[in-house]
Amino acid sequence: MGQGKSQFTEEELQDYEDLTYFTKKEVLYAHQKFKALAPEKVGHNKNAKLPMSKILQYPELRVNPFRDRICKVFSSSNDGDCTFEDFLDMMSVFSDMAPKAVKAEHAFRIFDFDGDDMIGVSDLREVIERLCGPEHKLTDSEIQQLIQNVLEEADLDDDGALSFAEFEHIIDKSSDFCHSFRIRL
Amino acid sequence: MSGGNSKNKGRSKRHEGWEEAGGEFYQELYPGGEQELFENLQRADAAKLATLLPSKQARNTTTVKRGRSQNERRQSTYARTTQSRDIHLAMMPDLSENLSNEERTWEEIMQIKAMPVPMLQKRELKARLQNATKLRLQGFENIHWQQRKVWHRFRVRFGEIIGKLELWQSPMREIEGTFGTGVVSYFLFLRWLLFLNLVISLFVTLFLILPKTILVETQHTCSDYEANSTVCCSQYYFEKNVTDSNIVLDVIQGTGWMEMTILFYGVYSNEIYTYFLNGFWETQMYYNMPLAYILVPISWAVLSLVAIVKAGAKGFKEKLVESEGQLYKYCNLVFGGWDFCIQHEKSANIKHKALFNEIKVCLEEERIKEEKQLRTRESEILLYLRRLLINLIVLVILIASGFLIYVAFNYSVDRLGTGSSEQSDVKVDNTYVNRTFERLTISRLRFNQNAGVLGLYRENSFFEQLENTLLEFLPFICIVMLNLIVPEVFNQLISFENYTPARVVIVTLLRTVLLRLSSLAVLMSQIYMYITVNGIICSLENKDPNRLECWETYVGQQLYKLVLTDFAIQFVTTFLINLPRAFIARHSSSKCLKMLGEQDFSLPKHVLDIIYVQTIIWMGAYFCPFLPIIGTIYYFLIFYVKKFTCLVNCTPSPVVYKASKSKSLFMSVLFLGFVISIGPVAYSVAELLPSLNCGPFRGYDTVWSYVIETFDRFPFFFREIVFLLGTSVFAVPAFVVLLFFLYYYWALAAANRHMVAVLKNQLVLEGHDKQFLLNRLSAFIRQHQKRCERRNRASFADDDSSIRQSSR
Repeated sequence: MGQGKSQFTEEELQDYEDLTYFTKKEVLYAHQKFKALAPEKVGHNKNAKLPMSKILQYPELRVNPFRDRICKVFSSSNDGDCTFEDFLDMMSVFSDMAPKAVKAEHAFRIFDFDGDDMIGVSDLREVIERLCGPEHKLTDSEIQQLIQNVLEEADLDDDGALSFAEFEHIIDKSSDFCHSFRIRL
Repeated sequence: MSGGNSKNKGRSKRHEGWEEAGGEFYQELYPGGEQELFENLQRADAAKLATLLPSKQARNTTTVKRGRSQNERRQSTYARTTQSRDIHLAMMPDLSENLSNEERTWEEIMQIKAMPVPMLQKRELKARLQNATKLRLQGFENIHWQQRKVWHRFRVRFGEIIGKLELWQSPMREIEGTFGTGVVSYFLFLRWLLFLNLVISLFVTLFLILPKTILVETQHTCSDYEANSTVCCSQYYFEKNVTDSNIVLDVIQGTGWMEMTILFYGVYSNEIYTYFLNGFWETQMYYNMPLAYILVPISWAVLSLVAIVKAGAKGFKEKLVESEGQLYKYCNLVFGGWDFCIQHEKSANIKHKALFNEIKVCLEEERIKEEKQLRTRESEILLYLRRLLINLIVLVILIASGFLIYVAFNYSVDRLGTGSSEQSDVKVDNTYVNRTFERLTISRLRFNQNAGVLGLYRENSFFEQLENTLLEFLPFICIVMLNLIVPEVFNQLISFENYTPARVVIVTLLRTVLLRLSSLAVLMSQIYMYITVNGIICSLENKDPNRLECWETYVGQQLYKLVLTDFAIQFVTTFLINLPRAFIARHSSSKCLKMLGEQDFSLPKHVLDIIYVQTIIWMGAYFCPFLPIIGTIYYFLIFYVKKFTCLVNCTPSPVVYKASKSKSLFMSVLFLGFVISIGPVAYSVAELLPSLNCGPFRGYDTVWSYVIETFDRFPFFFREIVFLLGTSVFAVPAFVVLLFFLYYYWALAAANRHMVAVLKNQLVLEGHDKQFLLNRLSAFIRQHQKRCERRNRASFADDDSSIRQSSR
């Protein structure tokens, strides 16, 4: 811990505490975790930018089907490479304390693969395929059926895609989302 | 014009007509918009028209604006369209009008964390907010704000401490990593039960066990009283020669010396303790033991009920929200399907597979539903007949198992009974040794003074002793075995019934619960019959050693044994049966052996295991005050046993367990257990005659009569109030008021539901309108572009012709 403390000033820690859902101790703990990903780099520069491949070694991210999207969404340079601050943001959003609306906002961006601010048919297809993994393939008609069902449930204005408002509405109704969209530090 | 102003206008005019307000609104938000829009439209591809909509624009604008919009969204329900270009203005405190004060700045800083922007920008924002000029708070407001700040800091600190105290954090994380949130919710439930028992034990320890051990009882001698009085009876009971048998057996059966310890009902005194506190001018203090003995169970029952309802209500609320959206099944599956906390490759693969299956099943279900409508009458009748048949079989199995327990109980009682009647024969001729024949054992003990190790000196009696122990435990072993085998049978049966997967879980759970609780009920009724026949007698007159002298202790012993048996079985199945199975599954290549060895963590079974024990604890805590403490230890140990089962023996289940649904399910089953366990206890308190020889209520008709008697000693005023509460003068108006409230909330809910439907409709209509307008607009643009082209071409042609003309 003492070693971690030396890398941050009190002011920085206060900033982090105010701007994330973590306490100071948790911030330091997060930094330890971050450091463990690439000790030599982070030991040098506490806010070093790690390439996406390094970040993806974090256990929960390694097996996550949306790992590259998560990195991209949280990366401040938008290419998937993350600094410690990006990592902290990520963990803060995934923590238990983050409210549903914040989680929903990020989930929406993660699921919006093509970045058109709508979760369209192609995005849904991508999500479903990633969910089922590379080994299990649903047939085309099944995927289509599923997409149609999802849109039927959630696409309130019938435009063939989910806008953020619609997405948020679903998330509000889904009690599972909060349980599952979460990574313990 | 600021955004807030226009917002108000928009709001106030909403009813007068959207067009009017909307137009103005639009003008304000997008000054010079028309021109710009038109240019945009000119440039834009007709297909991308939708991206120009204000709602989309708002999400696409710079991050700072987005962040701000987040806040606004939270502060007002007004939609995202309220974002405007003057956000930058609003961001900086407006010096002229509302100079923000410290508190507001602080609030805004606290809200930055919700913005979806990188940390760098957040820090900039924070710095800007901090450096902006702001008003100092004065007077009362200042105090209020300081209080808030302190409270906030305190909450953070407190949360930190609580987080540190949280039990089993890292095991939970480990389980979550491999099994996902559904299974963790089971372990959280286990922990919840542990804490519940801890609190109950605290109650019991503070108000029953401590007073009993610390305070000194006054000694009554029998000679001062009549021969038949409770004093004499109990004195004789307590001074009776304690059976000296194997200590280990005594401990697991709760008999012998154990019977006379604070573990059981029997030893608790029936007197009001009097003691002096030296510090307080020698004041005399009283502690009413019988009253405490009845109030403590009542208070823990109420506490448990409140805890269940509180935990269950949370789940129920979620369920209610969901039930309206049974519709949201697929969205839930797609967007909430992945557990982000999974961290092992293997579990991730299993999760992929599970989700794949779930999706298939869901689609399948839809098809089944469609098929159902197409199903011919004949096949339908056939299916129902099959279901009826299987339900009958289940019923028969349930009755049979109940009967089996009944037989086992009677058999063991009979055999033990004959054992003890033999004992009386033995008394006569003194030839051979019997287990409970105490005198002889004592004499043998004297014989072998140096036999330090217990059990060695009774080799020939050992097997008889073992046999007797087995007989004593026979009903419990029977129950536990039934609980192991019958659910498997149910599992096989249900596959013939063609239920939907979700239904299968509930139906199996229900049947297994019925099995467990009915076996418990049979046991209780057996004990009840036994008590009523052999129950109440003064120890002085008791010549038959088979008769119970303190039936409450007897009940306590039975339940105590049941808990111990259950724990032993859990332990044995986990480490001696399932562990080798898992080992076989992991290290053998044969498919058959693998099938035999592989086990998945089936949640319903494990949930039932712990709820069952909790039911026994509730049932027994009145008769054996130590039981909650044993329960606490039990849950603490069983956590590790179950964790072992989960992580070492089992592979993740191919069924997806939903964390949200399981919690309310657990709580409802637990509630069922609570009702079933409190029933018999309440009956015994209200109706049965307490034993004469032991316990706090010796000599009373019922336990409740003691409560009434105590109540009669309360001040008149207090009694009057309680009586008033019971009369119709109070009850009828209270009932009416409650009804009124009920109606009010019902009406409110109905109105809201109606409103939701209306708004949903409106949303759909708006969506259609939008679509329609966009189409029209794009068509128009296309037309316009064509016309332009034509005109251009025409003008080119004109130019050409004019050039040609001029050249001529």
